[in-house]
Amino acid sequence: MFGLLESGFQQFCWGNALMLVIAGVLIYLGIAKKMEPLLLIPIGFGILLVNLPLGGVMDYRLEVRSLEAGNVVEVQMQEGERFKEGNIICQLDSGEIEAPVHGRVEAVKVSPGQHIEAGDVVASIITTAQTNQSELPTEPLGLLSRIFKFGIMWQIIPPLIFLCLGALTDFGPMLANPRTLFLGAAAQFGVYFAFFAALLCGFTIPEACSIGIIGGAEGPTTVYVTSILAPHIIGATAVACYSYMALVPIIQPPIIRLLTSKKERAIYMKPQLREVAQLEKILFPIISAVIVILLVPMSAPLIGCFMVGNLFRESGVVERLSTTAQTSLIDILTIFLTLSIGASMPAENFLLPKTLLVLILGVVAFATATAAGVILAKIMNLFSKEKINPMIGAAGVSAVPMAARVVQIMGQKENPRNFLLMHAMGPNVAGAIGAAIAGGVFLGIVG
Amino acid sequence: MIDWGLTAKIAGGGFGMVFIILAILALVVWLVGLGVQRFSKGSSKSEEKR
Repeated sequence: MFGLLESGFQQFCWGNALMLVIAGVLIYLGIAKKMEPLLLIPIGFGILLVNLPLGGVMDYRLEVRSLEAGNVVEVQMQEGERFKEGNIICQLDSGEIEAPVHGRVEAVKVSPGQHIEAGDVVASIITTAQTNQSELPTEPLGLLSRIFKFGIMWQIIPPLIFLCLGALTDFGPMLANPRTLFLGAAAQFGVYFAFFAALLCGFTIPEACSIGIIGGAEGPTTVYVTSILAPHIIGATAVACYSYMALVPIIQPPIIRLLTSKKERAIYMKPQLREVAQLEKILFPIISAVIVILLVPMSAPLIGCFMVGNLFRESGVVERLSTTAQTSLIDILTIFLTLSIGASMPAENFLLPKTLLVLILGVVAFATATAAGVILAKIMNLFSKEKINPMIGAAGVSAVPMAARVVQIMGQKENPRNFLLMHAMGPNVAGAIGAAIAGGVFLGIVG
Repeated sequence: MIDWGLTAKIAGGGFGMVFIILAILALVVWLVGLGVQRFSKGSSKSEEKR
């Protein structure tokens, strides 16, 4: 700027401009339409921050190493130069050394004529790409890249958010009507359908698992699974998951209407659920943690945190811990998670055909999860005396409590006497458990 | 190249596993609910007798 320092304008490209538009749309949806503002506003601002070049909030340092020994013939990049993934950094007499990710050159460590061994550092680069740390270890340099690496990639923030969600969750409606657990299970069909569809679209198995888990409609689970299996697509899967959670009132109603008749949507359910004893509420998190973790050990961080948070709530003797988890802690963790997730979407990472496919498959996951829940509810009605309104099956996709609210609103429209919220909360929280188990299964088989 | 064996294991086995675990939980929740209800009925009756 004015010859004193480098301006971001010089490096600003059309991709950054497009990402700023996307950031603006998310912030607009959050503020003007009040769609999950707690998530969309910080995610949008994170996108905005990372797409202002040279801000450095999401920068990582990566040392590019030679895979083979040889003599340097030519160095093809200069310090400060921007490059794309696959561009040639330097030419050896034994081959070429390509940039493993996009970025800009911080320092070139070799010169023409120099002999290097396999594993020697050729250049130090600055990148915003998320890499597999076992193959390409990076050192975080920016504020948000540090939070991202140590909070998300080290799998700390997502399980802690699950703890807070556990403290916020009332399993009462599910305990009063255990049949709703089946609806939460059925909705996980969306996870596996999207997984299969992703494979057919050319994604690898770890990527397909990360895309499939979007159908669980649980942000922390999606982030957790993707951070382990496919960190390079974490921005796309997280944004797809959180955006579609916000768009549940738009995605679900047409699917529900398509699969149910007016008469079915009007099925009346008694508003009064069985009163659940405090002892049942205390026993549930303990028993379910034991059963689930013994059967799917890889789900321990998520299920363990979810259930301990719920035990804080239901035990009634650790009010301070419960209140902290429900208020300050979840707010702090949400700020860290959402800002850094937003910042994981620089134009170079996000504006790829793969990202568009992830977003499309995310909708497919949500839609099939909704459909599977509704269909199972209809099947259950064939065998039970006491009919359930099949719309509550749609709440099995989790997205707590938005999906349950959608069912409540649709139910009241069809039959003003109906009060389905508490009935829908059963499959809703069962869906959260189901998504965590599905994530654990993915990690157990693929991780 | 898709590894269909692993795909079937993940998709079929995974979904089956989720369903079975939640079915087990549903059964356990029902049994615990039944037990707690009976226990509380029994204790309220004995309190009434007193």
